[in-house]
Amino acid sequence: MRRPAARDVGGRSRKDETAPSRGRFINTGNGPTLQPIDIGHSDYMALIDPDTAFWSLVRKDQVGKVLSEGKLLGDYRRKADAFAAEMRKLRFGLKPSAVYFNPTERCNLDCRYCYIPSEMRRHGRHMSRERLMEAMARLDSYFEATLPKTMRPQIVFHGAEPLLNREAVFAAIEAYRERFLFGIQTNATTLDEEAVSFLTDRGVSLGLSLDAASPAVAQRTRRTWDGKGVFDTVVKAMRRLRGYENWSVICTVTKENLRHLDSLVDFFHAEEVPTCLLNIVRCTLPPSRAIKPGDAEAARYFLGALERSHELYRKTGRKLVVANFANILLAIVAPAARRLMCDISPCGGGRCFFALAPNGDLFPCSEFIGIPRFKGGNLFQDDLGDVLKSEAFRQVTERKIEAIDPCGRCAIRHFCGSPCPAEAHEMNGGMSRTGAFCEFYEEQVRYAFRLIADDRYGDFLWDGWDKGMKDTFIAAS
Amino acid sequence: MKGAKKAVIAVRKSCKARGTGLSHYILMSKRSK
Repeated sequence: MRRPAARDVGGRSRKDETAPSRGRFINTGNGPTLQPIDIGHSDYMALIDPDTAFWSLVRKDQVGKVLSEGKLLGDYRRKADAFAAEMRKLRFGLKPSAVYFNPTERCNLDCRYCYIPSEMRRHGRHMSRERLMEAMARLDSYFEATLPKTMRPQIVFHGAEPLLNREAVFAAIEAYRERFLFGIQTNATTLDEEAVSFLTDRGVSLGLSLDAASPAVAQRTRRTWDGKGVFDTVVKAMRRLRGYENWSVICTVTKENLRHLDSLVDFFHAEEVPTCLLNIVRCTLPPSRAIKPGDAEAARYFLGALERSHELYRKTGRKLVVANFANILLAIVAPAARRLMCDISPCGGGRCFFALAPNGDLFPCSEFIGIPRFKGGNLFQDDLGDVLKSEAFRQVTERKIEAIDPCGRCAIRHFCGSPCPAEAHEMNGGMSRTGAFCEFYEEQVRYAFRLIADDRYGDFLWDGWDKGMKDTFIAAS
Repeated sequence: MKGAKKAVIAVRKSCKARGTGLSHYILMSKRSK
């Protein structure tokens, strides 16, 4: 009888015990895999085990010595099983603990890259207050039964524009504030003094959206149905939030604003935005593909914006954390600490979180709300446990990077995750395809390694980012 | 670069996984840390 594999990573055995190899040598037999990667640094290159996401940076003139003398290999061998288990838990062992809750189909803006179909946003319906409270009660019961008592689940009111259904949303927050952590992602056009006061008093985490530091560029992508920009309104809302800790601003990076990211970083920093996301546009629906930048150009300006944020930090002592890049850094230095679950495979859709449409329909992620075949069931009609196991959800939760070409042979696959399955399916023809970008992620990871080589990476992370973490591998010799 | 160039650099830290964000939103909460 065939003995079971010693370890299983992403459905593949890392060590086949039927093969008579003791694993003494790297990159052959059952030995550890350490792929050499050019990170674009003058002195260092990276050695990466793609399955366990273990990496080390080795001085270029020392690579042969380091690999042949064996201390690094010996140290890694002792940790490899634990690292494989850590990745397995992160990739396959988590339970849903967050809901992206769309309380309305409507939006007062017609942003060019929105993944919710325009007809729905323009003429859709609100969820009634009664229905919304019923949904909250059902979700509360579900999480009560599935999560440890010490863990508070999250509800993120998302859109379309959730604050168009403000009364119902605020009623839910008031009623369930001790049961859930709440967040709202809003276009900020209705985020007035009263709303800010209500939400900040209750510690609600707020995400706003703004794509440029000037009205003219901002309104290229974010505008009302009659084509007017909302820059001034959003900036007023940002100023109301000054001094509050739990907020961020998302900029969606397209070819319309790519060349202006530097000035946006300056603007966010001057406005004391604590955290921003410079998210590359998701290309799930065709209109967003028209404003998709090329990978190389996107990387060039994105990395330039990161450097600018660092200059500002060095000059002022105050950080503007670019959270989507910080997440990639975390994926490298502390894989389980990542906050965003797009850049890991399987992604968080349907396994760490799911999305609720205003009619109660359930999808693995907000990105799928406009695609009926990804509906896994309905909160008011179906058992949530069954929905999570539905074919619609499994299409997403079972999308593993090892089955995607070229990701299956890519050394940085666990720092990238080949997002996003919705893009892969809608734009590139199936779940076994990559998402819209590849080289953009390659360049971010290479840049992240250069920051580590130069001992600058902590400057790009939140203060206290490693509080409570345990060192599992440190080499600096 | 601080100090002399080391031959090998490696850093890995671990913690309990709690990631729940997607690219459209990140929860910024002191209480969630």
